Amino acid sequence: MAQDLKKELASNQTVLLLMPGTEYNEIIVDVLKKLSGNICYITLNKTYDSLIELFKKKKINTENIVFIDAISKTIKNVPDQGDGVYYVSSPGAMTELSLTIEKFIRHKFDYLIFDSLTNLLIYESKAPVSKFVSSLVNKIKQGKTKAIFYALSVKEQETLIKESGMFVDKVIDLDK
Amino acid sequence: MTKKILVVDDEPDVRNTVKTVLEKNGFEVISAISADDGFKKWQVEKPDLVLMDIMMPGTPVKDVIPKMKGTKVAYLSVVRTSEAEKEDLMRSKNIVDFIQKPFDINELVKKVKKLAGA
Repeated sequence: MAQDLKKELASNQTVLLLMPGTEYNEIIVDVLKKLSGNICYITLNKTYDSLIELFKKKKINTENIVFIDAISKTIKNVPDQGDGVYYVSSPGAMTELSLTIEKFIRHKFDYLIFDSLTNLLIYESKAPVSKFVSSLVNKIKQGKTKAIFYALSVKEQETLIKESGMFVDKVIDLDK
Repeated sequence: MTKKILVVDDEPDVRNTVKTVLEKNGFEVISAISADDGFKKWQVEKPDLVLMDIMMPGTPVKDVIPKMKGTKVAYLSVVRTSEAEKEDLMRSKNIVDFIQKPFDINELVKKVKKLAGA
């Protein structure tokens, strides 16, 4: 799977990866193992600490990864930034999230991983989320950073997935 | 005496399923759609146990739970946290459990029975 993704990223700048919930953790680890270069990892459903715990267990080097964590502040008190991590108030703070991501895109990361679109819908309705995705993709396209958007392949979010699919260069459905 | 459970979750499916199953097991169940709604209902109903989704729109759950003084609260969480974070969260006075979503409904009933002292 990750090999296919790497191949797709060679010819597409933005990819939407639809995945089944049951294999989520295996897939995110698999993807990171295959990518080389500087990565900006945006997490909306797993805290920075839990990702570090998972990646350490799977022997993934995280030195080249900068995290934007939009979930930790909703469950505990954390500063605005730590070593290799920037904290955003909540996944629903889309303006703050957008501005933070924008700062990172300017730093010319090789890859941006957005984990995941599915979680945005807990906080916002489909229209603002769709607008957020379209605006983010446009910003990415102004540079050379390659972006991977994760989304759970769930029926309830079919419309958003279809709309997001129109903004990105390629959709890979791992559930098929 | 019938034990009263307050289920706070923004997902209607979770609220309805948990409510139906717990009621079948003899609990009285009140549900709320957000942390704020949950706090309002807690003030009136004084439940024996609160099952609280950790990730909801509106006021963060972490700001509401300390106000629910004297009531046991179990987190229902789709958010993945590290083991250390889980331990930290559990250190709050009234937090009694951390139930990871998706959960087995029979396991949940067992836990609720134990936590609510039914």
